[in-house]
Amino acid sequence: MRKQECVAMLLAGGQGSRLGGLTRIRAKPAVSFCGKYRIIDFTLSNCANSQINTVGVLIQYKPFLLNSYIGLGSAWDLDNLYGGVHILPPFLSEKEGRWYNGTANAVYQNCEFIDFYDPEYVIILSGDHVYKMDYTLMLKFHKEKNSDITIATIQVPWEEASRFGILSIDGDERITKFAEKPAQPDSNLASMGVYIFNWSTLKQALLADAQDAQSENDFGKNIIPQQLQQGKRVYAYQFQGYWRDVGTIESYYQANMESLRAGHFLSIFDPRFRIFSNEDILPPHYVGSTAQIENSLVCNGCIVHGEVNNSILAPGVYVGKGVKIKDSILLPYAKVHTGSVIRKTIVGENAEIMRRCIIGAEGQIAPDQEGITVVEDNHIISEGSIIEAGRNI
Amino acid sequence: MSNAIGIIYANSATDGLQGLALERPIAAVPFGGRYRILDFALSSMVNSGIRTIGLVTPHHYRPLLDHLGAGKAWFLDRKDGGLFILPGAFHGLVGTNHTFCIKDLKNNIEYLDKDFAENVVISSGDQIFNINFKNALEFHNDKQADATVIYKEINNPCDLTEKVFFKMDKDQKVSTIQDKKDLEKTKLLHPYFVNMLIIRREILLDIIEKFSSSGCIDLIDILTANLEVLNVYGSPTCSLIGTIRTIKDYFDRSMDLLNLEVRGRLWLGEDRIHTKIKDNPPTQYTSQAKVSNSLIASGCSIAGEVVNSIIFRGVILEQGCQIKNSIILPKCHIHAHAQTNYTILDKSVTVNGENILKGSLNNPLVVLKKTVI
Repeated sequence: MRKQECVAMLLAGGQGSRLGGLTRIRAKPAVSFCGKYRIIDFTLSNCANSQINTVGVLIQYKPFLLNSYIGLGSAWDLDNLYGGVHILPPFLSEKEGRWYNGTANAVYQNCEFIDFYDPEYVIILSGDHVYKMDYTLMLKFHKEKNSDITIATIQVPWEEASRFGILSIDGDERITKFAEKPAQPDSNLASMGVYIFNWSTLKQALLADAQDAQSENDFGKNIIPQQLQQGKRVYAYQFQGYWRDVGTIESYYQANMESLRAGHFLSIFDPRFRIFSNEDILPPHYVGSTAQIENSLVCNGCIVHGEVNNSILAPGVYVGKGVKIKDSILLPYAKVHTGSVIRKTIVGENAEIMRRCIIGAEGQIAPDQEGITVVEDNHIISEGSIIEAGRNI
Repeated sequence: MSNAIGIIYANSATDGLQGLALERPIAAVPFGGRYRILDFALSSMVNSGIRTIGLVTPHHYRPLLDHLGAGKAWFLDRKDGGLFILPGAFHGLVGTNHTFCIKDLKNNIEYLDKDFAENVVISSGDQIFNINFKNALEFHNDKQADATVIYKEINNPCDLTEKVFFKMDKDQKVSTIQDKKDLEKTKLLHPYFVNMLIIRREILLDIIEKFSSSGCIDLIDILTANLEVLNVYGSPTCSLIGTIRTIKDYFDRSMDLLNLEVRGRLWLGEDRIHTKIKDNPPTQYTSQAKVSNSLIASGCSIAGEVVNSIIFRGVILEQGCQIKNSIILPKCHIHAHAQTNYTILDKSVTVNGENILKGSLNNPLVVLKKTVI
């Protein structure tokens, strides 16, 4: 096997429980995003656009739909002569079998996989972030700084800083301090959860971490602080661009809605850095004579007879006559029948809303989760139902 | 396991498509928002379980090969079988009326010779349809037919000058070819050949050997002239939308897609039509967009008014423009307040602001590729 310079390890095994109904039957990276994409498309496309040909995808939680979506990686041109996409589930070895217990443990259990390609560098990625990034620039920075570990960082608003792993750096961009979700942040430079390690450094760190019974086997909580403590050369690569963690219903909703704005940050329309996806081939969408679509994104295979305002319709969505959809996200193959009204709602895949329902109705009390209503995948809401804003169905 | 291989004649030419087929064969003409006409024949065969398909190419084959690549989008990049390019014989004049010219097969005899399949499914590449050939293949085997032609029935044969009408016995065996003059007298449904058939491979090889010396001769003519010696049966279809020979055909068949019943037969069943994937983003509607009874492909940006039209991938429609009864091919850019009515814009046409393009129902205006107006 040809030696690879850099191997990517993509962490895609988390449950994503904070996405509630959207991850009931599928892993978070396989959740639909911005109409035609799935969250993992961004990371896989970044790899493809950064000439990283070898990607190990670490899976664990409800992997079937994610696995079948990734396939051989051909949708991202990752079905390569050398390398390619490898799905890495937990496995049984001579003495015992173990689940992946933390992000570092998942990579630790696949040391043999990385050794097989014997790379200089390993890039650790997360399957639940939405961003466009050329990793070659970060790798160049890593080499220039003669770094052991490079952490991609982004500036976040100060008031949100305590939700992230926060870094302090010196004048040479070397990291002096790392604090996971600090109550009193020293800076607003947040870790994006993208790390480049020298493979020798990473392997040593993983072996040591595996011996430590107290460790939670997590990159952010254990590996990075330990390496800093040992005086390793850890640098911060400052990424300029759009990056979103879509781990909660609120952030998922906001990130989707941002794509409706003119001059969208992600510039998904930029043909020089395309986001690929493994789409179903569907005919163009049909817009009926009673339809009215404003400020929205509409995908192939949709049939629209009603009003759609400030919303996203994923592939294969049906919108019946007299339907009013506002500020909502309809995931693939969702159906909304005649006369229903939908406001600020995420309608799950294959979910069906029968006639004359009101979803996201204003209630008596202040709604939860910023008033976003979620209808779970495959759920059928019976005729005439009224569902108050902020509920998860 | 399929016991059939396929051949698609993608070299049918016409001078009736004006600019659309100027530099591309009919098979490569964009159709239905995101497809090319060839996709329908190719997908139908693939959906029928055929995994070895030979494509007879025309002399200007670049757009065709560009679209096909290795055939991955149709699952034809295979070890066993796959997509075969069969260079067609050069016929010189555009507009010859041959559908399945024997000479084209003679040149590619290896393709037929080395395969072990029992049957060959042959189709032209200028028709819009979504047909699963499984039933016809079963019928063909049950009847132990030498050839089975696919037919459609129509009760108004006057405008179908190029069609071959025929009579069948109770057993669906084709008995005689009908003179068109006789047809007009009766009001019954009349079956005619659509350009698709199934033939035993051995018999096809025989025919090629016997007839290839006689120049450009059509397989359909050979079958119809030998109905006494060959067992030719007919199998019906109702999933043919139409053949594209003229700009009127192109316009009418495109507009048929706005009809739910037609879309149902073509697109909404179990068998999908496959095509080259472009990974376009979703289509964006601004708050000024006003769209009615139209088909819109992905990657468009829509700020104008669209009525009864078909918009292909990556089209930009600026604020205040009006697109009515028009077909706009990929990557066209219509600037603010321009108008089109009964117009077909070929790929990458730019219409600058305030221009008005107007054709008519029977004579839609065609604007050539990359024109700037």
